[in-house]
Amino acid sequence: MIKKTIVIENKLGMHARPATMIVKIASKFRSEFRIIKGDMEINGKSIMGVMTLAAEYGSELELIADGVDEEYLIQEITELFASKFGEE
Amino acid sequence: MIVKRIKGISVSDGVAIGYARIVEKEHIHIETKKISKTAVNKELKRFHKDVEYVINELNTFIQDDSFSKENRDILTTHKMILQDPAFIKRVKELITQKLFSLEHAVSTYFTEVVNIFDAMENEYYSQRLTDFEDVAYRLLSHSMNKSKDVLAKLDDKSILIMKNITPSFVTKVFEKNIRGLCTEKGSKNSHSSIIARSMNLPMLVGISGLLENINEGEQIIVDGNNGEIIIFPSSDVLAEYKSIYLQESQKRKKLQKLINVKAITLDNKEITLMSNIELPEEIDQVIKNNSRGIGLFRTEFLFMDTEKLPTEEEQYKIYKKIAEKLAPEPVIIRTIDVGGDKLSSILNIVHEENPNLGFRGIRISLANIPIFRRQIRAILRANTKGNVKIMFPMISGVEEILQVKKIIEECKNELKKKKIAFCNDIEIGAMIEVPSAVITSDALAKECDFLSIGTNDLVQYLLAVDRDNESISFYYKSCHPSVLKAIKQTVDNAHAKGIKVAVCGEMASDIQFVKLLLGLGVDELSVSPGRILMTKNEIINCHVQNWAELAEELMELKTSDEIYERLNDSKNYE
Repeated sequence: MIKKTIVIENKLGMHARPATMIVKIASKFRSEFRIIKGDMEINGKSIMGVMTLAAEYGSELELIADGVDEEYLIQEITELFASKFGEE
Repeated sequence: MIVKRIKGISVSDGVAIGYARIVEKEHIHIETKKISKTAVNKELKRFHKDVEYVINELNTFIQDDSFSKENRDILTTHKMILQDPAFIKRVKELITQKLFSLEHAVSTYFTEVVNIFDAMENEYYSQRLTDFEDVAYRLLSHSMNKSKDVLAKLDDKSILIMKNITPSFVTKVFEKNIRGLCTEKGSKNSHSSIIARSMNLPMLVGISGLLENINEGEQIIVDGNNGEIIIFPSSDVLAEYKSIYLQESQKRKKLQKLINVKAITLDNKEITLMSNIELPEEIDQVIKNNSRGIGLFRTEFLFMDTEKLPTEEEQYKIYKKIAEKLAPEPVIIRTIDVGGDKLSSILNIVHEENPNLGFRGIRISLANIPIFRRQIRAILRANTKGNVKIMFPMISGVEEILQVKKIIEECKNELKKKKIAFCNDIEIGAMIEVPSAVITSDALAKECDFLSIGTNDLVQYLLAVDRDNESISFYYKSCHPSVLKAIKQTVDNAHAKGIKVAVCGEMASDIQFVKLLLGLGVDELSVSPGRILMTKNEIINCHVQNWAELAEELMELKTSDEIYERLNDSKNYE
């Protein structure tokens, strides 16, 4: 299992488009993927889950991947967050 | 009430007067009655089937290039909502454990989600509510067979008002003989618009504020000729449009009588009158208008706005279906013809300074041989009835035709080796649209079985005019002396080698030019299915020999203006 903490850096927060991108990428992997924000924990492969996180600019998220390809999953998701979802 | 006019984009000509039937705003009433335990499996099956159906429907929108990237992104999100494990799990739970009906379970789930989002303070997130409502509506209305209800309320006096429309729905509503169609979104060349146009159904798209301004059942006018809808028409306006409508419908009725008439000129020359199509869905109109086959089947729709190139098998199935439906009439399939910019997402094409003189047409195929061979193999295999021909776009000279012929031979050998069935005899033709192809058309005629003139590009390249560039578009003149001479030269060279020449560009369906083209010696015309009958009307009223003499005279004139003038005078020539 890998855990990683990241901060949302794109100004618009995690709205529908970034949420879609996260789920698209996460779904490519076999590992389980969960995201924690405060006391809320959701399935990172669920678009509804990711959207209900309502993660805004500056919020802190904990990413948890668990499975055979967990490293790659975390790596790609981290890159996606770092790219600010291609918005800026 | 004051007469109100709202502008839109006209998709097809013609006037329609009818009563507004608004679709999409309906309220859905859900019964909360429980289902029996034995019905659970049936309900679960229905759930999977309906979700699959709606996802397919969303896919057609997502692949439709008439939608903005932004809209398609939204629809992709909608699709993912339907594929969401949390959604599927919860709905299944409600059905199996609480014995909710599918509709009840789906609406309960979305209410739960909406409540979560409602509680959020961030405005952006509360806006997401419309997304969920859209998805919920789409799924529920399908599950409850709402689309059938919608069709039930349409009749031959209806003008359908929608936010947007899918190509398949256009076909469905057309069968109800509706008078017209208006949508708030959409563009002139969306798949839905192409289909409506081939059906000659008056349609306006991109009408902003449409749904807010129209009430169910109101009498409205769709003016496809001027691109506007008229709400609350006064009695004067109504009378004016009624007379236009009457004239148009009399004309249509007269044309309808030509359906079974052969396209033979006054001096007994039979002209092959074929259809141009962009989408397989247009084929019904091709048959209905009794067109003599397809003179131009554009295959671009298979390659554009897709993340994945079509496989040989996918192409084969589509080509074969169309070819078999039209046999023994010919089906001329044109290989990919788009500017590189449109395919950039799949072919890694870099930005070009001058795309019209750049990477397009046959050049793309010859630079991407595996993709090209896949298309050629699919076409060769689809020729099960021997009525398929292949045509190549943007040919600039014999070199490309020789190259292409070599590739066709290689593909045939490959299929033979793999023992896959195909027809060995297939005619090939070059599009004549580049000036160098006109000048070398004698050599091209020797290597080809037919030539087909694409007038739009030919005029553009002959006169070096981009007609979409407003500051110079007046230089675009279809009857410039050079254009007439180029067509004549191509025809003469082809006839000298005993092959035929078709015109499949816009000139062929422009009523003022049909007779002139025949006078220049053109053997075949290919036009949009909706224009078959009016083109035929020109053909049967044309005396080719007289027009050949007139064409000679016109080619001696020095300017386009003189030619236009002389053409107008000649309306009574026969």
